[in-house]
Amino acid sequence: MHNNVIDRSKDITLLELLDRVLNKGVILTGDVVISVADIDLVYLGVKLMLSSVETMEQLKSGKSIIEK
Amino acid sequence: MINELIYVYCISSSPPVLNQNIESQGLKSCMFNDFHVIVKYVSESEFSEENLKNNLSDLQWLDTNVREHIRVISMIMEQSTVIPFKFGTIYQSENSLKKFIEDYSDSLMENLLYVKCKEEWSVKIYCDRKVLGEQIDELSEESAALEKQIMASSPGKAFLLKRKKTNLIENEMDRLCKNFGQEYYDEFKNLSESNDLNNLLPKDFTGREDTMILNATYLVSKTKVTDFKKTIEWLRNKDKNLGFFIDATGPWPPFSFISIKEKQ
Repeated sequence: MHNNVIDRSKDITLLELLDRVLNKGVILTGDVVISVADIDLVYLGVKLMLSSVETMEQLKSGKSIIEK
Repeated sequence: MINELIYVYCISSSPPVLNQNIESQGLKSCMFNDFHVIVKYVSESEFSEENLKNNLSDLQWLDTNVREHIRVISMIMEQSTVIPFKFGTIYQSENSLKKFIEDYSDSLMENLLYVKCKEEWSVKIYCDRKVLGEQIDELSEESAALEKQIMASSPGKAFLLKRKKTNLIENEMDRLCKNFGQEYYDEFKNLSESNDLNNLLPKDFTGREDTMILNATYLVSKTKVTDFKKTIEWLRNKDKNLGFFIDATGPWPPFSFISIKEKQ
């Protein structure tokens, strides 16, 4: 049974994928990389799909309520 | 068109089996030191610094390419241990990629060993506060006591107490969400090697009606994945009547557990 993210990625939103592939993994290498400023622009672009500016604020401030 | 830039997907611990189907997609495995680097030659017109930046604002392009990035790495991950690269990491030449690999080979090896035989799983827990709120008197002594008081009060006093109860319910629901979230977090933590807590995402982002109360990523040893999945099912059934829902996805490439140290 293939139950991995390849099969399921259609159900996963672009924003959620971006959260992984832009902010994590091997970063800050390469001759061309997407800078932090570019990442903000990407989110700003995707934001058009979201309904409000508050959502962006919530995204940045939505600290976890759980203790590690 | 000449494809002269090198787009890097991931590093693989063993030589990947690139079948014809995969090779026809332009994927190639380059070997530097002991690392197999999965790359694709891409064009300047799409991936030069300036063109990439422009393309990032094209949602359709972004969607296609981000999904491709995950798809390729996941495919390699089925065969071996991988170190995933950030989306859009590009080298101008094999020499320059080779230099990076050589410079960071110690750290890369440490990371490969660390994530070997482990899987990244994402666990998001949501709470339907309407469903939880309907059962608040059974879950909260304080709320039940106040309800009793309301029943025994005159209409005027009951009105005021009801207003007090509305506030109490919100606070009690916050407390319950925190407690349940903590319980879930701990259950999964006990079955994992490491974990990462992410920001809670607003409803616009998740497209769901219920409220996210936990957004965690776990690194799970392959020997414990079955137990991890059983725990997902168990918790999913245990509290679904209270309005809690568990959304688990995986295995992801270990994006959240890679840490490449700057060379001293």
